[in-house]
Amino acid sequence: MTRQDFFIKWGVYALALLPVWFCEVYLLNRYPLFGVAPMLLPLAAMAVAVLEGAVAGAGFGLGVGILCDAVYFNPDGAMTVGLCLLGVGAGVLAQYVVRQDLVGCLLCSLLALVCIDAVRILSRLLAGTGGLTAMLSLAGREIAWSMVFVFPVYALFLWVFRRVPKKTVL
Amino acid sequence: MKDFFRRNGLLILIAAILLALVTAVVSMLLGGVANPFANVIGVITTPVRNGINAVTGWVEEKYTDAFELEQIKEENQELKRRVAELEAKEREYEEAIQENERLYNLLELTPKNRSFDKEAAMVTARSTSNWESTLTLSKGSGQGIAVDDCVVDEYWNLVGVVAEVGENWCTVRTLIDAGTQMGGQLVRTGGSAILEGELALMGEGKLKLTFLPENTQLISGDLVSTSGLGGVYPSGIVAGHVEEVRTDVSGMTDYAVIVPETDLSSLKQVFVIKDFDIVE
Repeated sequence: MTRQDFFIKWGVYALALLPVWFCEVYLLNRYPLFGVAPMLLPLAAMAVAVLEGAVAGAGFGLGVGILCDAVYFNPDGAMTVGLCLLGVGAGVLAQYVVRQDLVGCLLCSLLALVCIDAVRILSRLLAGTGGLTAMLSLAGREIAWSMVFVFPVYALFLWVFRRVPKKTVL
Repeated sequence: MKDFFRRNGLLILIAAILLALVTAVVSMLLGGVANPFANVIGVITTPVRNGINAVTGWVEEKYTDAFELEQIKEENQELKRRVAELEAKEREYEEAIQENERLYNLLELTPKNRSFDKEAAMVTARSTSNWESTLTLSKGSGQGIAVDDCVVDEYWNLVGVVAEVGENWCTVRTLIDAGTQMGGQLVRTGGSAILEGELALMGEGKLKLTFLPENTQLISGDLVSTSGLGGVYPSGIVAGHVEEVRTDVSGMTDYAVIVPETDLSSLKQVFVIKDFDIVE
């Protein structure tokens, strides 16, 4: 793959990320269900990691993490490093343990969302803000509602994956 | 995994850690002022947010026109009756104010004064996370808005406090956010307490009033306003009313559940109090 192919490929992935970002930040949070809005950006990182593997997953996770830290309130850099690590993990899982398909993406997304909310709960427990029951309830509703969106997000990135050059050389 | 490390995977991980550290340190040092990258994203997306806000506002208005007309008519009748009542009361108050002025002059007292420097702003986006309750406004440091400025709605009810400022946008931590903590005052009794957000109550759109004054009997519907103690926030801004009194998990202390007077889910325009001068 040439350098130009490389930039076109990741440019197209970045473009595919735009509607996901738009829906999460500007649309779905206006109309919460069961008091929560879904998290879509981590799902996008997981979908690309499952389809492209560990290295691309780490790179795309890093990009999505930076975006999350820029658009989410009160950034602390945790999403940048967290989504990068989760991208590696999802890529490795999809390459060696589960298949690189929708089921693999569902499993990796579930693990990623659990990890993200576990970190949030732990940090709040350590800071002494918020009761465990309330946090578990919120995390449960958030993960359940977000998982519904794995299907459209995976479909979007699968559509992109089938149209871009396959071999990534970094 | 060997393949991962051979193909620059380790470099990506190191870059991620470094960037995360930079984000954390810059956010900590700037203390509420948006970091440069977040500011650029905020500035670029402000027109997009305004556009989306206009479109969704138009759709919601059409929906209301189509399906909630009867309800609005009834509400209008009720409001007309209420206005008539208030106009009658206003005439009585006018006389009381004049009498008050005469007495102030007689006793040579400094009259009470409340002046505010306000900036109108539109709500352009809502919380991007379920773990915080925030609003993004269409004005920022370019219009003189700073961190810790109070935000009120058109009825002078407390909406929240500015927590992060960019060039032409700012993020407001609403009063129900789990991180909110400010002095509160019971309007009926004058007792001071602390207005505090809590994660469990945030989901219900409520907050709590803690450190209740001893021997105070709270009544459902009691108004709670800001106390203004400390001088950071102005006093007398209505935060909400008491819904019920609960005992905390330790069983040692009571707290009141407060329902905000402002409707956070349907806010469109708010006012940021940039400066204030209060003489009590």
